[in-house]
Amino acid sequence: MNVRRVAAVASKEWRETVRDRMFLALAFLIPMLWMLVFGYGMVLDVENIPYAVVDRDQSALSRDYLYRFQQSRYFDFQGTLSDEREAAPLLAASRIRAAIIIPEKFQERLLAGQPVGVQTLVDGTFPLRSDITKGYVIAINTAFSTELVVAHVARIKGVTHDRARELVQPIKLEVRYLYNQEVKSAWTIAPALVMFVLALAPPLLTALGVVREKERGSIYNIYSSTVSRLEFLIGKLAPYVAISAFNIVILWLMAVYLFGAPFKGNGLFFYAAALLFVFITTGQGLIVSLLVATQQAAAIITVVLSIVPTILYGGLLVPVSALGPETKVIAHLFPAMYFTNIVHGTFLKGVGIEVLWPEVLVLLVYATALLSIGYWLFRKRPAL
Amino acid sequence: MTDRTPTPILQSVWWRRLFVMVAKELRQLFRDAALIGFFFWAFIMDVYLAGSGTSMQLVNAGLVVHDADQTISSRELIHRFHPPYFRFDGLVDHPAAGLRRLDFGKDVVFLDIPSRFHEVLLEGGTTAVQMQIAATHSPQGLSAASYGARIVGEFGLDVSTRALGSSINGDLSLPVVRSDHRVWYNPNQDESWFMSISEVLTITTIFAVLLPAAALVRERERGTVEQLLVSPLSPFQIMFPKVVAMTLVILAGTAMSLFGILHGIFDVPMKGSLFLYFAMTTLYVFTMAGLGLVAATIASNQTQVSLMTILVVAPMINLSGTWTPPEAMPVWLRELMLLSPLHHFVNISYGIQLKGTGLDILWPSVLSMAALGGALFGFGLWRFRRQFA
Repeated sequence: MNVRRVAAVASKEWRETVRDRMFLALAFLIPMLWMLVFGYGMVLDVENIPYAVVDRDQSALSRDYLYRFQQSRYFDFQGTLSDEREAAPLLAASRIRAAIIIPEKFQERLLAGQPVGVQTLVDGTFPLRSDITKGYVIAINTAFSTELVVAHVARIKGVTHDRARELVQPIKLEVRYLYNQEVKSAWTIAPALVMFVLALAPPLLTALGVVREKERGSIYNIYSSTVSRLEFLIGKLAPYVAISAFNIVILWLMAVYLFGAPFKGNGLFFYAAALLFVFITTGQGLIVSLLVATQQAAAIITVVLSIVPTILYGGLLVPVSALGPETKVIAHLFPAMYFTNIVHGTFLKGVGIEVLWPEVLVLLVYATALLSIGYWLFRKRPAL
Repeated sequence: MTDRTPTPILQSVWWRRLFVMVAKELRQLFRDAALIGFFFWAFIMDVYLAGSGTSMQLVNAGLVVHDADQTISSRELIHRFHPPYFRFDGLVDHPAAGLRRLDFGKDVVFLDIPSRFHEVLLEGGTTAVQMQIAATHSPQGLSAASYGARIVGEFGLDVSTRALGSSINGDLSLPVVRSDHRVWYNPNQDESWFMSISEVLTITTIFAVLLPAAALVRERERGTVEQLLVSPLSPFQIMFPKVVAMTLVILAGTAMSLFGILHGIFDVPMKGSLFLYFAMTTLYVFTMAGLGLVAATIASNQTQVSLMTILVVAPMINLSGTWTPPEAMPVWLRELMLLSPLHHFVNISYGIQLKGTGLDILWPSVLSMAALGGALFGFGLWRFRRQFA
């Protein structure tokens, strides 16, 4: 291997990249812009659920009950309906996601010490949202009921309010959140987005960069030159890895300073692991680019191959521990999951290589394998 | 030519040109073996993978317990943390051992039940149970806490009703508000429905914006557009067949995943009109093609056009309500997303498939999408004309 030839290929590639102003700008802009909009937009919190109410009781107690929904930041009041049937078209049009229906005699029954059922209609198209909506409704109902029950028990047993509260709620649950004390979605998402962006942007740049040469035919210059396969690949990939190596720092800064994610681990370890991940995703891009003939195909294949596994199996939206047995196996086949563990470990848990070495090992295997396959696939005399 | 008996639709020159150009585009597309192979992977395998087994709700959260009491009450409480939400991973002798399992990511929830738990409850006193939750994944952490609170609260209420009931001679009714839910459109909360539909939308979007855009720029980059420009074809006749060809291909892909995977494997219902669904998909593909077209006229080569469209499309895919609930986004982003055709298509798509709604209800979304499509297509065509005419 000749270092000068590698440098020549790299500088040719770099110059080509720099001359295409828009390509250069996009290479740096894409990761930043994505981090920005995804960081603000990919929130899994379920808030501002638009809802409407049907109050058949129209009593002081029912208004008190409904007021709790209006007070909650989880719900967004859209209006009062006079009839349950009016809710159906609103739900169908996605104008509201839930409807609360208070039955007649709501106040009468409760004051008489009898239970009463409040019906909630929930739009079930998005199961995560409907499940959490149900949870919120139950929480409000429980809080409301507890107060009524405490007052009721105090009255019939002739004890003080505090004693009645103890009787009704004998067990307190003390919840403590570890690693993310305020349970901020941004703390979960922002570090994972570093993974997501690094899984998507580097292979895209690489795949397009390599196929571009193939499609334009300028690769024949390389085929006929003295540059060896390895020299060409190293020189060709170097600028893209360099761009991504710079982007890692930007993404890290955005995660920490813009989205306020804590970084408790070792920065150097994180950087090394991120670089390793960039090698893997660059390798993915390389392999795609060697298998296809057009940039169109390269772009589509890279995007689909990167987006789906990282969103669904990379631990970005769905924690890998929550996957079913078969899908868990699939998740372990993609490198994204291992890097997410490293990201969450270094950002939130403050653990380092002593805990995360298996992940690093797997990533090393992936990087070696992908780059070797890329090397093996690249022929200077293609059978075309 | 050999077509002695042309079908009526091919009689006019305009139509015949359109037909020939569409055929050319399709032939060009099908020669890209890698792309076609991948087309099947995306519309079939990807949709299948997305729909099978992934779940955003709290499922299977590992639970480890330190039970210092070891009585009927404590065991009953542990028993109430049941699947599918929680997965009981056993007892630990010491709280530190439980926390270590959280550190290593083996479990998500650690429950600590104090000694004399049973005794205190019998005496009518109060006690506290500790729940430590690994909140590295915050929605899961919150869900675990809310389920935990529900379980412990119900358990407490049961204990106290038993105690109170025996002291007031049974038949105790309490003034509680019972939650009575009815989940519409997906009563069993089958997540494969949501996930597979979302995935079809994602794949459709990627193909719809990238296929026509790249096809257009490639022609320019290779110089073959000059050949087309000296032909009697108008700019519209050059561009429109590309969009038509790509639309046909994408509709075929949608049909594959709709009948093969969504209906065939996941039993996703098609409550509304199938025809309307395909008509709306066509409108959506046209709209996205318009976006690709605009990008194609701005970019000077294929690399740029690919990067530019992906720059715009990735946020669209992730923020239009396909993967995360859009209501929780900041207001400025929510309003920005009204510009995303996918945002409207998500409403239309779920509306037709799961809710069975028709145009009478969906018309605002359809109108917005059509307006966006018209604007994008018109602008793209105008720029294309200016560049070549």
